[in-house]
Amino acid sequence: MMAVADTPARKAGWSVLNIVVILYALVPVLWITSLSFKTTATVTDGNFVPREWTVANYQGIFATSEFTRALGNSIGIALIATTLAVVIGTMAAYAIARLTFPGKKLLIGVSLLIAMFPQISLVSPLFEIERAIGLFDTWPGLILPYITFSLPLAIYTLSAFFREIPWELEKAAKMDGATPAQAFRSVIVPLAAPGVFTTAILVFIFCWNDFLFAISLTSTEASRTVPAAISNFTGSSQFEEPTGSIAAAAVVITIPIIVFVLLFQRRIVAGLTSGAVKG
Amino acid sequence: MTTTEVPARFPVDTPDTDGKRRSEGARAERRLAAMLCAPAVIVMVAVTAYPIGYAIWLSLLRYDLRFPEQSQFVGLDNYVAVLTDQYWWSAFTVTIAITVISVAIELVLGLALALVMHRTIMGRGTVRTVVLIPYGIVTVAAAFSWQYAWTPETGYLAGLLPDGSAPLTEQIPALAIVVLAEVWKTTPFMALLLLAGLALVPDDLLRAAQVDGAGPWQRLTKVILPMMKPAILVALLFRTLDAFRVFDNIYVLTRGNNGTGSVSILGYDNLFGAFNLGIGSAISILTFVCVAIIAFLFVKGFGAAAPGADAERR
Amino acid sequence: MLTRFAVLLGAALLAAGLLAGCGSGDEGVVLRFYTPADAATQYGQAAVDCTDQAGGRYRIEQQTLPRQADDQRLQLARRIVGGDETLDIMLLDVTWTAEFAEAEWILPFPPEAAARAQEGTLEVAYETGTWRGELFAAPLNTNTQLLWYREDLMPPSGPPGRWDEVIAIAEGLAAQDRPSWIEVQAAQYEGITVWFNTLLTSAGGRIVADDGTTVTLAEGDAANRALEIMSGVATARGVDPSLSQRDEGAARLAMESGRAVFQVNYPFVLPGIEENNGGSPIDEQGNPTDQDTGRQVGDVFDWAPYPSVVEGEPASVTIGGLNLAVSSTSRHPEQAFEAIQCLRNRENQLRNAREGGVPPTLEALYTDPAFQEAYPAWEAIKTSLDNASVRPESPAYQSISIVLSDALNPPNEIDPDAMVDDLAQRVEDAVNSQGLVP
Repeated sequence: MMAVADTPARKAGWSVLNIVVILYALVPVLWITSLSFKTTATVTDGNFVPREWTVANYQGIFATSEFTRALGNSIGIALIATTLAVVIGTMAAYAIARLTFPGKKLLIGVSLLIAMFPQISLVSPLFEIERAIGLFDTWPGLILPYITFSLPLAIYTLSAFFREIPWELEKAAKMDGATPAQAFRSVIVPLAAPGVFTTAILVFIFCWNDFLFAISLTSTEASRTVPAAISNFTGSSQFEEPTGSIAAAAVVITIPIIVFVLLFQRRIVAGLTSGAVKG
Repeated sequence: MTTTEVPARFPVDTPDTDGKRRSEGARAERRLAAMLCAPAVIVMVAVTAYPIGYAIWLSLLRYDLRFPEQSQFVGLDNYVAVLTDQYWWSAFTVTIAITVISVAIELVLGLALALVMHRTIMGRGTVRTVVLIPYGIVTVAAAFSWQYAWTPETGYLAGLLPDGSAPLTEQIPALAIVVLAEVWKTTPFMALLLLAGLALVPDDLLRAAQVDGAGPWQRLTKVILPMMKPAILVALLFRTLDAFRVFDNIYVLTRGNNGTGSVSILGYDNLFGAFNLGIGSAISILTFVCVAIIAFLFVKGFGAAAPGADAERR
Repeated sequence: MLTRFAVLLGAALLAAGLLAGCGSGDEGVVLRFYTPADAATQYGQAAVDCTDQAGGRYRIEQQTLPRQADDQRLQLARRIVGGDETLDIMLLDVTWTAEFAEAEWILPFPPEAAARAQEGTLEVAYETGTWRGELFAAPLNTNTQLLWYREDLMPPSGPPGRWDEVIAIAEGLAAQDRPSWIEVQAAQYEGITVWFNTLLTSAGGRIVADDGTTVTLAEGDAANRALEIMSGVATARGVDPSLSQRDEGAARLAMESGRAVFQVNYPFVLPGIEENNGGSPIDEQGNPTDQDTGRQVGDVFDWAPYPSVVEGEPASVTIGGLNLAVSSTSRHPEQAFEAIQCLRNRENQLRNAREGGVPPTLEALYTDPAFQEAYPAWEAIKTSLDNASVRPESPAYQSISIVLSDALNPPNEIDPDAMVDDLAQRVEDAVNSQGLVP
């Protein structure tokens, strides 16, 4: 931080900036929240703040097990896929950033290839494979593609982080008498933590957000995730567009993201400002 | 940036125990690397090898799911058909426009956001959490939010426009809204990657520069940005690759109508609308080729640091 | 460590596979009945009733598909091509019959079952389920459009009978600053193709011939007249600025908001406006207002036959609807055909009509008091169905629809003379699977 006095003018300036940023991020979110509380009669009246409030939309989406199951599926699948992707990605990124081995360029090339290949053309063959080995409409059936398609991002981000870590610190700790494991745990892990958590957030959001695989590789409540479930929403009667239901569902599924980010955001801050990573 | 695969510290012409230890070390290193990379390789190859191969094979066939008996091998005919079709070029132009404009805006905005997140002296936690919310919202839900906002009568934003305009039904306004939705959604992604790069800029350097009389703008352009170059390039690379394949937002906002379809929407319509697997796969492969060219330009042209390139030095 | 990991991964996959497989123990024949998400409760009820009637021979389980027709078609096609044996009975949109039949994704009905399905069924609905003379899908629901109008805004001669009269009345109202919008489905989707096809067949033309591959669009002047009407509606004075974005739901809402004088739409708008408490209040001029004037859109809401194109000849409205088909991957086709007979019986069709808002395909129901009570417009609907037309029967119909809707939207840019040949060429390419679809 710059060593300048925190004058009221500076505070005011930053507050204004903060508010601008918060508005930018939240206005569409507030709009969809407002839509979720509007009655069906007023949903098309164009007001930002609802004139008539109702919780009927929320009651509606929880009335059946469809949405709750989808929520459970989304959370479970995303968590498992994120954990596995981060673990596998960390191992590979460590190797790429620190070790020399033949085929490193090939590995990087292949992961880039996978990151770049249009997913729409992979959906149908993937569907056929999964149906053939019985993974269609199951949790592993979604987890495996999610891991696969988030690994390139994970590996790239993590190896970029690992490149910046001063590994000499580890040698220094070892010379001071620490075992390799101790040196790793007390020196490297805190330095690597911010990168790992950033990657975890990115991977989680990727899995949470995915729509294409969710609608193609699931067919029943057993594994259908929220984006796919939303596409099944109907209005409260056959005359209603499901605006309110979709809005309510959108609000509900944003909450886990907020929780997730809140939990990990502090870790990132701690890591970034710990000061260990100064040149 | 070029590396030799045989480790340079295995000098061929110095024998004796020193060399032997080093070769053992190199072999142990390779074994460790193999073990560490194996899970990633296995998962990625197992899931994508057949689909990618199958997609390439399909693009060489004339294969319409609705007329299965008429399939035959046609070599590169599908590619010729795609590259000479006006729908491909119009989708291509739209995609390039969206990509360039949205990534440029996202870079500037993302940098600004990163600076605020890094430097703000109050409510930092709130700002950082709040900023990640657009990125975390399910894309289709956010797209619905924008669609309702810009629909005449229903939306608060549509009400700001002169009466009688329906922006989502004309090409340029609709594309502008698509860019807006894309930028709003993924600027936090850029900001996050840039923030991490920003945090690595040593404060002493900045203080030294300030002492030397550099103003804030000069500190930004002469100290911060150059040091952030690797982070910026990684962020740009991934963001451009994703922007080129834009799909969800367009699908919800306009369904690709009125000339707002991207190459991904075109591929989707031909694969899943017309069930024309041959043409659809050819479109996908061509999209991939474009994306590969972009990546190549970034890595070779701008020098985006390929991770691991200088690991040998450490 | 590597081998241990690989073994664990393999075991996990195997376990997952086994778990996915087991659970469907020996509980007799289960027929899975796939329906769209709309009106799923009615179909679920029908499944329960037919299971009771089956006397233990089979059990019908209703499953819901995505809400959008395109997504339903995609899922069904993909799963059949992938050999999914859990697909038995499916509710198909009327336009998919030719496509699914040609690709051998659905089974032809055995002659006795086909005869039973034809008995008492509306002719035009039965036609939508046939391909090359054989029945592949038995009609369940149908749907047709009427002209819905504002009584208070009509001239003394009453509602218009032809499209040019519709446009003239609307323009007259626009000059007086009164509601003048004509609501049609003109967004770039299936709806605008239906509009075009209706106008074309009403003028005596057809898009393709019976074989599904000969393009007859450019024959005669029917296409020209159809395009002139579409252009006229879209460029009329006082036109709805969002016309090129309107689908069925949006058109209904525009009418209920009081700013439209006409709409062509399906009968669901009538219970719709009732559920919406009669729509917006209107003043003496007929314009919508915020104040409670005691008079609402619903009070002056009436219907008439779909406007015709040719003087003296009734319009030939292109119908919609859903048909029941048996998947070619089903393990129990015999029971499936039997179940279909029950699923489309009188009680179930009546329930769909009353609660689901979709007209039935059994002719006898149109004279049933229970049905007539739920459908005040039943007479107009029946007349419309007697004169109705179907969409082009071709396996390439989806492509035809996509290229046509791309060309026709936005309708205010239609140039009737220049466009006929362009449309014919596009349909020709689509039918032969040439080139790209937008």
